[in-house]
Amino acid sequence: VTFLLRRLLLFVPTLWAILTLSFLLVHAARGGPFQSEKEIPASARAQLVRTYGLDRPLLEQYGRFMANTVRGDLGPSYKYPQRQVRDLVSEGFRVSAELGGLALLLALLVGIPLGTLAATRHGRFGDHAAMAFALAGVAIPNFVLGPVLVLVFSLGLYWLPPALWNGPASRVLPVLTLAAAYVAYVARLTRAGMLEVLGQDFIRTARAKGLSERVVIGRHALRLALLPVLSYLGPAAAGIVTGSVAVETVFAVPGLGRQLVHAAFDRDYTLVLGVVLFYAVALMVLNLAVDLLHARLDPRVELR
Amino acid sequence: VRFLAQVAIGLLLVSCARAPVGARDARWFGSVAPPRHDVLRFNNGAEPETIDPGLMSGEPDGRIARILFEGLTVADPQTLEPRPGQAYRWEASADGLTYTFHLRPGLAWSDGSRLTAGDFVYAWRRVVDPKSGSRSAGMLDPLANAEAINQGQTADVTRLGVRAADDSTLVVTLARPTAYFLFLTGHYTLLPVPRRAIERWGATWTAPGHLVVNGPFTLVRHVLDDRIETARNERYWDAANVRLDGIVAYAIDDLSTSTNLYKAGELDWNPSGEIPSPWIPYLRGYADYRSGEYQATYFLSVNTTRPPFGDVHVRRALDLAIDRDAIANDLLKRTRRPWGRIAPSGYPGYDPPPEVRFDPDSARRELARAGFPGGRGFPRFTLLLNTSEDHRRICEAVQAMWRRELHVPVELQNQEFASYMDATTHLRYDVARRSWIGDYLDPATFLEPLRSGDGNNRTGWSDPRYDELLASAANEVERTKRMAMLREAERRALDAAVFLPIYHYRTHELVKPYVRGLYHTALDVHTLTRVWLDRDWRQHEPLAAEERRR
Repeated sequence: VTFLLRRLLLFVPTLWAILTLSFLLVHAARGGPFQSEKEIPASARAQLVRTYGLDRPLLEQYGRFMANTVRGDLGPSYKYPQRQVRDLVSEGFRVSAELGGLALLLALLVGIPLGTLAATRHGRFGDHAAMAFALAGVAIPNFVLGPVLVLVFSLGLYWLPPALWNGPASRVLPVLTLAAAYVAYVARLTRAGMLEVLGQDFIRTARAKGLSERVVIGRHALRLALLPVLSYLGPAAAGIVTGSVAVETVFAVPGLGRQLVHAAFDRDYTLVLGVVLFYAVALMVLNLAVDLLHARLDPRVELR
Repeated sequence: VRFLAQVAIGLLLVSCARAPVGARDARWFGSVAPPRHDVLRFNNGAEPETIDPGLMSGEPDGRIARILFEGLTVADPQTLEPRPGQAYRWEASADGLTYTFHLRPGLAWSDGSRLTAGDFVYAWRRVVDPKSGSRSAGMLDPLANAEAINQGQTADVTRLGVRAADDSTLVVTLARPTAYFLFLTGHYTLLPVPRRAIERWGATWTAPGHLVVNGPFTLVRHVLDDRIETARNERYWDAANVRLDGIVAYAIDDLSTSTNLYKAGELDWNPSGEIPSPWIPYLRGYADYRSGEYQATYFLSVNTTRPPFGDVHVRRALDLAIDRDAIANDLLKRTRRPWGRIAPSGYPGYDPPPEVRFDPDSARRELARAGFPGGRGFPRFTLLLNTSEDHRRICEAVQAMWRRELHVPVELQNQEFASYMDATTHLRYDVARRSWIGDYLDPATFLEPLRSGDGNNRTGWSDPRYDELLASAANEVERTKRMAMLREAERRALDAAVFLPIYHYRTHELVKPYVRGLYHTALDVHTLTRVWLDRDWRQHEPLAAEERRR
C-alpha cells in the first residue's frame, strides 16, 4: 500500500513537468490557432482572442490552464469551438482503446504460443520458421505493412474494407497491421525466456518426477518465461499508442493518435494539451499496473 | 521463409484473377456495384471546423452546409447560375441597390416550425454582429451598413440593409450595386439559421438532435474526424424530388486511403483534391475519372517591403523567367494549365489582359535595369513554401529556372502550414508560394485581395489607381464598363508583378458510373439535392456519358 501511495504521489510532479513542457512547446511554435489562407476579419479575430484569453500574458494563460486541468475541465477545442476537449478525448480514446486493446491481445495470443513453439523446437525448422516470421514482423514498419495488406485483401481480393471504422470486418486490417511488430517481440521474448527457464534445475526436477511435457512447459516453465513479456507490456502499450498514429491515418480510424496530429498542425492548444495529458496518465497507470502484476507473478520481486 | 513467400505470391496472383462477379470492368476504376441503400457516400476531405453556416469559412464546411440548409437562391448543379431556392422569385431595382425576394408559401424548418423572412434577417444580422466572431462576415459587405456594424462603428445591428416586409417578403438594401449579389444569396454565409434552436442550445445547437435545418437533408450522426450522416428531410419543400435517402460525408485526410476506398466501392464519389497527384496521369484512362477547369490559381507572392523586391524591374525579371509550360505540362503532366494571369479563365463577358509569357531575354534585361546585370550582386533570398511534396517540386523547378536564367542565389525554405501562414501574414518572407480560390463567378474575387491593405494582400504592394478601379467597378451597374475596369486593374497588377502566376487549377475527381446528376462545376461546388443512384446504369450508358462530359 505504501508502494502504491508513493507511486501515485510521484505522478503529480511528473504530470506537472509534462504539462508545463507541452504548454511551452505549443505556445513556442510559430503561428496561432486562428489562421487560414483567407484572412479572418479583425472583428472576428478580436472576438476569438478574447474568448480564449489569448490576449493575456503567457503566465496568466498558464495559470488558468493549470487550474482548469486540476478541475478536469480543459474547455472547448480551438478548432472545433462547439466541442469540449473532454468529450473529444473520450470519443477518440474509445476507438483507440479498442484498436490498441485488440492489437495487444492478438500480439499475446499469437506471440506466446509462437515463442513457446520456437523454444521447444530449439534449433530445428519450427524454431527458424517462427523466428523468421517474427523478424519480418519487427522489420516491416506498420505504414508499409498497412498499405500492402490493403492492396492484397481489399483492392485485390475485395475481402475486407480498405479503411474506415465500420463494423467488425473493418477492424481486421488495422488490428493486424498494428499487432504485427508486437507479435514478433512477444514471440522472441517468450522464446528467450523459455530457453533460459528450460535449462534450470527445477524443470529437470519436474521432468524427473515424470510430469508430462505439457505440464512442465505449460504450468512450470511458462509462468517464469513470461516475466520478460510482462515487463515488456508497459513499453508495448506505449508503442501501440504512438504507433497507432500511422495506422489510424492509413485506415482512417477516428482515434486519439489522429486527433493529436491534427491538433498539433492546427495549433489547437487545448486539444493538444488534453490529448498529451491523457496519454501521460494512461502510460503511467499502465506501467504501475505492470509493476503490480510483476510482483504477483514473481515471488522474487518485492515492492518497495 | 520460402513458404511465406509462396503464400504471398499466391495471394497476389489470386488477387489479380478473382473479383466479385459483375463488380469489375476494365473501363472503370474498381468496383462499379451500386451500394445497397440509396445513400451517397463521399469523402469531404477535412473535418469541418463547424457546421454553423454563419460562422464557417472553407469548403469542407460549405459542402455540409449546402446539404443541410438552403438559401434564397440555389446554384444550378451545372452552371452555378442562381436558381430559385427558398425564394421562388425576386426583383431588383433599376439602380441595382434594392432586391425584393418572395419566399415560397409553406416553408418549414425540420422541427415543423414555420420559416419566415425574419429568419433570414436574424441570420444575416448574426453574421455581421462582431460578437458572433464570424470569419466570413465579409461576404455580407455589399449590404448597406454591414462593414460599419462588423467593424464596431455602430452597435445597432438593425441598421443592416435587410428587413422583412412581411413573413414571406425579404427586402435587401445594398451599399453598392453588386453584380454578383445573386451568387452570394446561395453562399453558405447567407443561409438562414433557426433562431429558436440557437437561443435554446447556444454553441451546441449544431449537435445531432439539436440541429434544425431547412435543406434537403437532416443531420443524423456526427463523429469527429470520421463522418457526418444525413437523412432525407421530409419537411423540405421539394422533398418529393429528392431521390437519395441520405448522404454520408467522410473526413478522410489521407488521399491514398480515400482513393482506395473509392476503388473498393466504399465511396461513390472521390471529389477533386482527394486524389494523390501522382495517380492522376494513371487514372486518366478510366471512364469514371473526370477533369475540368477550376476557378483557382497558383502563384508566387513577392514581399515588396523587402529590398530589392520593392523594385518593379526585379519583380518583372523573376516573373518573366518562369517557364509555366514546363511546370504545368512537363513536371505536372498536364494536370494543371499553364497560366500567366491573376484571374482564371471563363468569366462571361470578361476580356482578360495579355498573359505574362516566359521570356528569359527580357527577364535578363529587366534584371540589368534594376542594377544586377547577369545577377551580379543580387542578395541571397528564399522562396517560402508550406510543406507538401507538390509544392516542393514546383518550387524546385522555379528555383532552377531563376538560377539558370538570372543567376540569382535563391534557396527554398519549407515550413508547416501554421508557421508558413504566420510568415506570409506578417510579411516575414521574400517570395512565397500561394494559391487563391474563387468565391463567386466573377473576376473581382481574384482582384480584391490585391487592394491596398487588404488582409489577403500579404505583399505590401499598394497602388491608388488600382484601388480606384476596383472601387468604381464595384459601383458600376453597366456590365461592359465594369468588366473593362476590372480588366484594366488586372493589367496594372500584372504589370507590377507582385503575384507571379504559374498555373490555373483543374479539378480531378472520380465518380461511379451509377451516380447521376452530379456535375463538374467551375467553382467545384456541388448542389447534391437532386443527385440519385441509377441501379440500371448499364442500360443508360449514353445518357450517363453525356452527364460526365463537359
